[in-house]
Amino acid sequence: MTAPLLEAKGLVRRYVMRRGVFGRTVPVEAVAGVSLDLRVGETLGLVGESGCGKSTAGRLVLGLETPDEGSVRFDGAPMPEPGTDAWRKLRARMQLVFQDPLGALDRRITIGEQIAEPLVIHATPGDHAARVAELLTSVGLREEQASRYPHELSGGQRQRAVLARALATEPALIVADEPISALDVSIQAQVMNLLADIQARRGTALLFISHDLRVVRQVSHRVAVMYLGKIVEEGDPDGVLQEPAHPYAQALVSAIPAPGRQGKRIVLQGDPPSPADRPTGCAFHPRCAVAVAMCREVSPALKPRASDGRLVACHLVHGDAVSLKVAA
Amino acid sequence: MLRFLGFRLLRAIVTIVLVVTFAFVVLRLSGDPALLIMSVDAPPEAIAAFRAAWGLDDPLWVQYIRYFNAIFHGDLGRSMRDGRDAIVLVTERIPATLALTLPALAIKIGIGVPAGVYAALHRNSLADRMVMVMAVAGFTIPSFVLGLILVLVFAVQLGWLPSGGQESWRHAILPVITLGVGGAAVLARFTRSAMLEVLGQPFIRSASAKGVPWAAVVRNHALPNAAIPTVTIIGFMVGSLIAGAVVVESVFSWPGVGRLLVVAVANRDLAVVQCILLLVAMTMVIANLIVDLLYGALDPRLRATRTAGAH
Amino acid sequence: MVLPAATTRPRRPLAIPALVLFGIAWLVLMLLVAFSADLISPFPYTALDLRNRLAAPIGFGGPWLHPLGTDELGRDVLSRLIVSIRLSLLIAFGATLIGAFVGTSLGFLAAHFRGWVEHLVLALVDFSASLPFLILALSVLAFFGNSLTLFIVLLGFHAWERYARIARGLAISAGAQGYAAAVRQLGASPWRIYGRHVLPNIASTLIVSMTLAFPEIILLESGLSFLGLGVQPPATSLGNMVGYGREYLTRAPWILLAPAFIIVLTTFSVSLIGDWLRDRLDPTLR
Repeated sequence: MTAPLLEAKGLVRRYVMRRGVFGRTVPVEAVAGVSLDLRVGETLGLVGESGCGKSTAGRLVLGLETPDEGSVRFDGAPMPEPGTDAWRKLRARMQLVFQDPLGALDRRITIGEQIAEPLVIHATPGDHAARVAELLTSVGLREEQASRYPHELSGGQRQRAVLARALATEPALIVADEPISALDVSIQAQVMNLLADIQARRGTALLFISHDLRVVRQVSHRVAVMYLGKIVEEGDPDGVLQEPAHPYAQALVSAIPAPGRQGKRIVLQGDPPSPADRPTGCAFHPRCAVAVAMCREVSPALKPRASDGRLVACHLVHGDAVSLKVAA
Repeated sequence: MLRFLGFRLLRAIVTIVLVVTFAFVVLRLSGDPALLIMSVDAPPEAIAAFRAAWGLDDPLWVQYIRYFNAIFHGDLGRSMRDGRDAIVLVTERIPATLALTLPALAIKIGIGVPAGVYAALHRNSLADRMVMVMAVAGFTIPSFVLGLILVLVFAVQLGWLPSGGQESWRHAILPVITLGVGGAAVLARFTRSAMLEVLGQPFIRSASAKGVPWAAVVRNHALPNAAIPTVTIIGFMVGSLIAGAVVVESVFSWPGVGRLLVVAVANRDLAVVQCILLLVAMTMVIANLIVDLLYGALDPRLRATRTAGAH
Repeated sequence: MVLPAATTRPRRPLAIPALVLFGIAWLVLMLLVAFSADLISPFPYTALDLRNRLAAPIGFGGPWLHPLGTDELGRDVLSRLIVSIRLSLLIAFGATLIGAFVGTSLGFLAAHFRGWVEHLVLALVDFSASLPFLILALSVLAFFGNSLTLFIVLLGFHAWERYARIARGLAISAGAQGYAAAVRQLGASPWRIYGRHVLPNIASTLIVSMTLAFPEIILLESGLSFLGLGVQPPATSLGNMVGYGREYLTRAPWILLAPAFIIVLTTFSVSLIGDWLRDRLDPTLR
């Protein structure tokens, strides 16, 4: 097997948050030790509730933010400091697709100019106009739409334009942060297909961040579930989403409305999580239906399950502890 | 609340330090004080002796600390014109200035705030437009033009009032009106927009939709909320009580702090200028501090939002 | 950001209100006068006519030679007025541009570097917002004496903190979520981000602030010149004409009234245009 294109190890990102107005500042770990890797042509789906740190993880992986701990390697080399020339050059090889296409586009500049902008920035040789036309067609827009302004396009068309801009320099890695959640359901599928199509043609590696399990399952080769800054379960999408091992993943999956599915929906107990109040031990234990005393004390490591090697971070799954509630 | 006070106090001190530093830097940049003060034909030895005597040979930071220390002990230097202490010279002019600025402040608040509230409540009425035109006019007519026109009409043509000087209360009438009218216009315009902003908020509409009488909505919801920004601008006006009459005092030959400042600037009497600068900064900072405390009284929520989302 | 509800915001007609049209017309007239000052002034502004000292304007018994009368040395008031308009407008435009440039640059620096740079800029903003600018300007003039360049630069610092606040705030919000963040991750240099993207996007807000600051600078200039601390003779500005005319208030009020009238109408016009622009372009500004 070849070396991964992207390799992130033990990423930690802390923010300083103020409690109250003049209260003490508390460090908040938005990302609390995330490791992931991605190969050429592979899609990793990153799922979790909003606020679980998945967007921050995406930005760390791209080097848009510097991790407080841990490291990112891209194509075998460490990530340069943000703002340096090396860092700027690297932007041509990795791109971020934003959730809000209208916000990501400059409303005063035409679509065509914006799609050409990465080519100008990275001084790509060749006919930029022709390349823009080619990009527009490849994402399913018409060539004459190059002269339009963002507000003259529909939501789906704007996201296509953002994609075209991201593809301009033929990046090896695309991080798509909730790329379809601002779109109408009917357009979501088109954009998803477009992403899959691009990947098939160019072998782009894709980190697909979403809160929508069904979407992630459609596109991903692997799925990682995040909870409060940590990956709690990672494996192939069918396995993780058919038969989740981690109690949190089980709750997420049970919340998907599916006709004919057996079993009851697991309703999570307790308050929604906040990284400012990270519980001790396993961060999920206050809301976990099967938690035992050990879960409050010891933080479980993400390691392969004995039966099939799926990565899970739960004491109970690994048999380190036995829940009485399950038995009851 | 204590933390809040401490934070505001810290900011006030930072501003004062910045003003003192500003005075020091400007003073040093403006040239060698020895060359400024000594006569043209002073021998080089005399200049050197002067420098040594005043510590001008010391490193800049030593001078800076000495400068701070002197100011801290109330030593603001002597006027180069009559050799008296600058601080005495300035403080003895304060009552005269307050005799103009205090009644003017009363006029500003007494006319400006009600006019602004009325205009906002009767938006687009004839009265509203009148207030707005008056407000723009009051802002665009400079005080020296207004003052001179008042002199031309009431002193020169009609002969009702004296044109300048400080002999009796009648001498104060024209300058007070000149000061008050312009400020009232600014305040009216400001109050009106603050009121309009509050009246457009959802909670006002929901209160009136719930059937609360309009007068009660205005009294209990709109006015207290509109008061918050309005208090800021009034605070600025209070802060400029000491030196807010520079131009008007000059127009009416009124012997206040402002007139003193203009004369001192013209004569480059640096000690006096610096003393007035510090005095104004102090008043302004204290007024801002009071405004901040009033904010707390008017709206406890603000204590939370100001530092988090300010600027 | 709180937008007033649709119900309280009257629909403005698309046509430019008559008063604003008047303001634009007056400003254009003043600019024409300023640019053609040398061509249209009937006399050199320092030329003396000792036989016609303190002559009244036409209509008040004055000679046809001097339409707006003459001053104590027999200098033609109309010629002086034309030259004064040119200098006052030059100072106001120059100072407005300097203020916008300095403020916007510092605002961008604060937004780009954050950290101590931002704290420093904000402390300076606080400092200049907490002192009446007239007092600051007077102190600087006392310390440095006076020259036209210094005077323009000094007035340029009026209201710089407003541009700094606006530029910083808008640049931060554009950098946190929107187009600026997107362009940054494309690999654009800071020059490109701020020059090509942020600046055009906040230009309308900055222009509105400039139209609101412009009349304030005219008032400041004329106030300082009136006090004898601004433009120095033999140069002449509107405020300095009012200042010198004041001595002849009883005998020759026209010396003072003509420039006073120009000051008031010009500031009034620009204020009207500024208010109108603000309502049209940028309802978020006060």
